[in-house]
Amino acid sequence: MTGHVSIRLASERVNHSVSSSNELPRFYTPGEVITGMQDFMRGHGTYAEDDSLKASVAGVMQKVNKLICIRPLKSRYVGEIGDVVVGRVLEVQQRRWKVETNSRLDSVLQLSAVNLPGGELRRRSAEDEQMMRKHLQEGDLISAEVQSVFSDGSLSLHTRSLKYGKLPQGTLMKVFPSLVKRRKNHFHNLPCGVSIIIGNNGFIWLSPQKQDVLYEGNKDEIEEYDLQPVNRSDRETMARVKNCIAALVASKMMLDDTSIMFAYEESLKYPSVKDMLDPEAMLDIAFLAQHRINNAIEE
Amino acid sequence: MAGLLLSETEKVFILHGVQDDYRSDGRSNIDYRPMELETDVVSHASGSARLRLANTDILVGVKTEIDVPKPDKPDSGRIEFFVDCSANATPEFEGRGGEQLASSISNLMQRAYHSSQAFNLKQLCIFEGKQCWKLYIDILILECGGNLCDAVSLAVKAALFNTRIPFVKAALMDGGNVDLQLSDDPYDSKLLDVGSAPLLVTLCKIGENCVVDPSAEEESCSVISLIVGVTGNRQYYTQEEETDKKTMEGKCTTIAMHGPGSVAPKTLKEAINQGIIAAKSLDEALGQALLRERQENIGFKKHSYGFLK
Amino acid sequence: MPGPDLLSSQGLRLDGRRPNELRRIKCKLGVFTQPDGSAYLEQGNTKVLAAVYGPHQAAKSKSSTDGVVVNCQYSTATFSTGERKNRPRGDRKSQEMSMHLRQALTAAIKTELYPRSQIDIYVEVLQADGGAYCAGVNAATLALIDAGIPLRAYACACSASMAWRAGQPEPLLDVGHVEEAAGGVVLTVAALPNTGSIALLEMSHRLHMDYFDVVLSRAMQGCRDIEIILDRAVRDHLAEGWTKQDIVTI
Repeated sequence: MTGHVSIRLASERVNHSVSSSNELPRFYTPGEVITGMQDFMRGHGTYAEDDSLKASVAGVMQKVNKLICIRPLKSRYVGEIGDVVVGRVLEVQQRRWKVETNSRLDSVLQLSAVNLPGGELRRRSAEDEQMMRKHLQEGDLISAEVQSVFSDGSLSLHTRSLKYGKLPQGTLMKVFPSLVKRRKNHFHNLPCGVSIIIGNNGFIWLSPQKQDVLYEGNKDEIEEYDLQPVNRSDRETMARVKNCIAALVASKMMLDDTSIMFAYEESLKYPSVKDMLDPEAMLDIAFLAQHRINNAIEE
Repeated sequence: MAGLLLSETEKVFILHGVQDDYRSDGRSNIDYRPMELETDVVSHASGSARLRLANTDILVGVKTEIDVPKPDKPDSGRIEFFVDCSANATPEFEGRGGEQLASSISNLMQRAYHSSQAFNLKQLCIFEGKQCWKLYIDILILECGGNLCDAVSLAVKAALFNTRIPFVKAALMDGGNVDLQLSDDPYDSKLLDVGSAPLLVTLCKIGENCVVDPSAEEESCSVISLIVGVTGNRQYYTQEEETDKKTMEGKCTTIAMHGPGSVAPKTLKEAINQGIIAAKSLDEALGQALLRERQENIGFKKHSYGFLK
Repeated sequence: MPGPDLLSSQGLRLDGRRPNELRRIKCKLGVFTQPDGSAYLEQGNTKVLAAVYGPHQAAKSKSSTDGVVVNCQYSTATFSTGERKNRPRGDRKSQEMSMHLRQALTAAIKTELYPRSQIDIYVEVLQADGGAYCAGVNAATLALIDAGIPLRAYACACSASMAWRAGQPEPLLDVGHVEEAAGGVVLTVAALPNTGSIALLEMSHRLHMDYFDVVLSRAMQGCRDIEIILDRAVRDHLAEGWTKQDIVTI
């Protein structure tokens, strides 16, 4: 009974880049002049100097009417109101939680921005303040929505909806936020039986699909259910989805439910999930998924 | 690496996965993540290697110096380990932040290499009682993705395999001084016999089971981990057929435990056996990779990839 | 003041370069996965890794409302030099280098954008063969770009020295270890070549003021040459990363 060990050489390293049909856009690099005209508004990634607008990051230009932004290949998460994020509670403070969301300042979840048991429009009492750690404690993962952005750029979150809140059993993956496609919906129940939250901040949450019946039960019952072992087939599917996402990320491909499902379907030719950790297999999956995406675009 | 924060439910998920012998990336409890190896990456060192295990990245450089042997071991050379946790790996290591972890790893390595069956220090002797080689093994941790000890020991063994020590002629002069003559030709050097050098295997106890090659998340779920140092097998590091069967068996050279928890003696024994088995397959894979690389480099001048490709 | 013999009669340097020639620079962005940005740079035989973490919430004691706190650490691997070093960092030399790094990079980073945040920049010299500080600045600039941190312009560093040839002063670009060890002046400049401003200037040994201008302008020329090389590397990196992303102009 020996485990699987593989040591490859640097000369056998796999290049993960997958060619695509997209034409290369025009790139801007820090200090480069974008335009000399003054009638543009400067957005993220730009600054004005000597009567011209210059880029401050390396990336491509995005223009909305007169607003010019430069979007870098990767950066910390820059939140916008309405974004869905997955975050980790760092600290329990007075009437609020500090949450790590991969942005440049810690985000805040106010006590008044969560649903407490017993009605939505309830006043937050002193007792609630003392029970905060019971509700969410350090290390807990939550899904939430960006409610507002403070002037210093830090985010205020809320979980005032049934779909948000503390996350049950599952695994977290971290990718660059720029790989996540902005979509209407970031909660998906994939057909393979895994539910996935693709946070705009690059945190991706994988968990087995929940049976709805349990919402009827009281709180203790739900908590008990949350700690039940996940069955083997769900676990296998989750591992497969996780490795598929890793393969897409290694080739810097955009993530949404379609690209993940394409990669999942292509990965089925590898019967054993752990074989998908192999760099060649990762490239193969990403390549095939890209092919499917290109076909889908053409149709 | 205790810095990682996990929620209760994540821990439960990992724990049940280990119970089920099916971890979150599809590995079983005895599987290693894929590794990548390159030797001879630092030109200022006599030998060097870089090993990447998932996103754990280790760079090892071996430097040689002439020194005086220890009085109690006049016919042996000396070997010293130094670990540096670069802040590149995590901001926690900035300044003196990584020192505690660094010294625990270097002590562990020092102990694992202490036995003469693990690494024969006599091959470093120049002139008995007067002069010997001292090997400085400098280990640089560039990125941490769990399972540092195993990766360090693999990289060290690869760097030693790559190390060349110049031939030196020594003659006793009047007054007890030793006259050393170094050859001018840098290729006039010998390789070390490292086949039996030990490898470390970390066994992370999660719940009631032990896993090898824990990821950073798994490490933070575990209350105790056991590190076993096991001697290597010379046979994997040479193309010649070895007849001496005695040296084949892996022997434990060091056992260490980390973490606040405790284990039952029975679990301990099982874990040690599991470690010896894992060390054997690691050793075999490392030997094959090193020989393959050496074979590749015979034909043409070595192309160094380093961090560039 | 005839300096040491750094130029041959044919006008070539000890390592065979012409006086105005840089050593070969090879670099790559994004070599690690954990940091927000990382880069590797080789300048001749000098090899440097840089990692950037942040911007992230600054520690309360350091936090500043005016702008981002830039925190640098320069360390040298123990096996990086011919003679083994005993300590990778913490000695006076590395602390000075950390401060100089901070000086040069703070000039480039648009610090005012990120109040209460902190950026950690770590430079690790893997192999030192002269000009390790310059290579460190260049690598750190690439790592900052990889992390998507707004910069005014590229920060590039280059060194220059002086030699004599047929009685004429001839400045040398990008000083190697052999030339450093031979003595003579070493002028290190970190600049934002795009704006033409100098962020840091340091000189060791003596130099007649009459020749200061020629040596400085050669070093600045080096910074401009390096900027072109870095810019090309950044564009190659973008092209490779962007093949997969569809550019949506909203």
